[in-house]
Amino acid sequence: MAERVFITGMGMITAIGDDVAGNLRSLRSQQSGLGFTSHLDTIYKTILPVAEVKYTTQQLSEMAGVAGIDGYTRTTLLGLIAMREALAQAGITDVQQEPTGFINASTVGGMCDTENVYFDIVDPEKTGDFLKFIDTLDCADCTQRIADTVGITEHIATISTACSSSANALMYGARLIRAGLTRRVICGGTEALTRFTLNGFNSLKNIDKRPCRPFDQQRNGLNLGEGAAYMVLESESLVRENNSKVIAELSGYANTNEAFHPTSPSPEGDGAFAAMRDALAMSGRTIADVQYVNVHGTATLSNDVSEGKALQRLFGTTVPPFSSTKPFTGHTLAAAGAIEAIYSVLAIQNELVFPNLNFTEGMEELYITPETQLKEGYPVHHVISNSFGFGGNNASLMISKYEG
Amino acid sequence: MAAISPQHTFEGDLSVQPMVISSGNMLSCVEPDYKAFIPGNSLRRMSRILKIGLTTALRCLQDSGIETPGAIVTGTGKGSLQDTEKFIKEILDYKETALNPTPFIQSTYNAVNGLIALQQKCTQYNNTFVHRGFSFENALLDSMLLLHEGKENVLAGAFEEITAEHFYIKSRVGQWKSEDISNDTLYQHFSPGTISGEGAAFFVLGPEATANTYAELAGLKMLYKPSQEKLAASLQTFLQSHEEIDMVLTGRNADINYDRYYQVVDQQLSGIPQLPFKHLCGEYDTAGAFALWLGAQLLKTQQLPLQWFPMQHQTPAKLRNILIYNNFFGEQHVFMLLKGI
Repeated sequence: MAERVFITGMGMITAIGDDVAGNLRSLRSQQSGLGFTSHLDTIYKTILPVAEVKYTTQQLSEMAGVAGIDGYTRTTLLGLIAMREALAQAGITDVQQEPTGFINASTVGGMCDTENVYFDIVDPEKTGDFLKFIDTLDCADCTQRIADTVGITEHIATISTACSSSANALMYGARLIRAGLTRRVICGGTEALTRFTLNGFNSLKNIDKRPCRPFDQQRNGLNLGEGAAYMVLESESLVRENNSKVIAELSGYANTNEAFHPTSPSPEGDGAFAAMRDALAMSGRTIADVQYVNVHGTATLSNDVSEGKALQRLFGTTVPPFSSTKPFTGHTLAAAGAIEAIYSVLAIQNELVFPNLNFTEGMEELYITPETQLKEGYPVHHVISNSFGFGGNNASLMISKYEG
Repeated sequence: MAAISPQHTFEGDLSVQPMVISSGNMLSCVEPDYKAFIPGNSLRRMSRILKIGLTTALRCLQDSGIETPGAIVTGTGKGSLQDTEKFIKEILDYKETALNPTPFIQSTYNAVNGLIALQQKCTQYNNTFVHRGFSFENALLDSMLLLHEGKENVLAGAFEEITAEHFYIKSRVGQWKSEDISNDTLYQHFSPGTISGEGAAFFVLGPEATANTYAELAGLKMLYKPSQEKLAASLQTFLQSHEEIDMVLTGRNADINYDRYYQVVDQQLSGIPQLPFKHLCGEYDTAGAFALWLGAQLLKTQQLPLQWFPMQHQTPAKLRNILIYNNFFGEQHVFMLLKGI
């Protein structure tokens, strides 16, 4: 019998909070992080809203405890801040006391910094300080910087499956534990805003000029965001041995593919349906046990139809309260799965269902509508958290209250 | 399995293929005719590494006789460099307006996986690892976990390209030799840097041997930035549970900066024949996939294509157990053990 996988630490930074507690405060007070960028050099500065972490890269380097040291990109710094909180919350002071793996997720690595110096890097006439960014061009750079800074020397990996990347990182970590290959692994993702991704999604006509409106008839695309989030996952035996404080259980997960279109999901949500169904089945629960679904809910035309159809197919007429928290954080791409996994834990811990901001009008294709009010004192035992992405990559996580 | 590489690895009998020799320190793939694998209208839109990756995957599935695998797991250090470079330039040239989204879509690291899934209608597990010299190896580990969890088969692979622009970028941090050499003379040029390469290799992995099986992947170990002592100790542990090694496929690449790690293996396994492969494929994040392809090929055919290994003085008496050791610029170190069936 494979070991159960428990969450023993969490850390995060997003546009709505510098840590987990700060995020919870903003979710409760329904404070969105969307606004206009002050750090990104783009012609869309005052046109396309984004959910930006309000600190400069310099300030982030101070918060991460590495001020004055070269080579940390914004992606790495966001990740490092979240990593330090996750370690602290799990009570880990020496990461090497127990062999600890690190599974990170990233969609464009250090692009946030490299895109500003790229044309200097490729120009033989130019030389200078920017050469230190050459190593940050790929996705592994942030992972290794974070690992090296906190002293992780065991199994490391970086996953990139677009918007489902960090959900897959959590899944891979959990599977390493269940296979007995490690007893502790830290999983999640980090993402900084870049001109590259902003223009990428904008060229696909996927970005709304207004704050995004998931599951609304008038929705017109997503808003990008930045942030990072990590969870410390431990095996049941390690938890027992160390008497670790368990925050929640990662009780199920599934990864499926749409095999439909490079950037669009299937209209009936086949992949989303299969991912949720399989994650639920793995946890040994039924649809009646799920009190909340933190949907992917990007507010693109196609995602919300597909995901909504999948919810209706899985839950029929008893769809539990669901909401997208993207109007709070923006779509943080590689970090989104882990950020929303933490929100799912917060829903369980605090008996909350977060509202889906900016919703006014139900979609004509669906008979369900998202939760629009903050539900308090609402017992939540099991949450499904969805992350779907380009390439048809779907991932669903089932997060459950720890009941011994 | 299947491979597209700077050598004639895609089809035909290896023993009659000459070594492809080139200078300029940058080896490029011998590309097949893609039309046999990809419909023309899709082909026109696809960038180079997407074609290379998808075609290798499809050829691999053909070779295995499996149309729709139970999962698709890949590794790539850099994804589609050509698309990434193109989109960065177009953002500048067109001042962020009226951009064509295709290079952006194709620059996403999981684009090749999505295409394979789409073309073969594979709706199951799909994952992409992007971690330098651990990209392919994590894909292998993930695949082994999937088989352990009960999957009947997994398509695992890796793909990597080098562009002139990226070659230049990495030359600025000293990854390549400053002297211009010919790949067949790589090991005579022991100096800082190596030669760059690229390629794709895919494998269908299953839990049990069949009549078509090339080899058994009997062990896999990744080590992140180990000391030489830790590398030596890990090799000892890795080999303890296995029989004698007949040959080492070594990632040795004539780079004086990281040769000390290969010397550790020399010391630990002195007397065992070593076969280098980087003169054939060059150095890149997922060169380990080329080594696995080559090792499995050697075990299946029980033949060294001698024209590819003019430096080989010591041919192993028997070929049953092959150890692969590779490291990527001294950071990610990998042992793989391959056994003949």
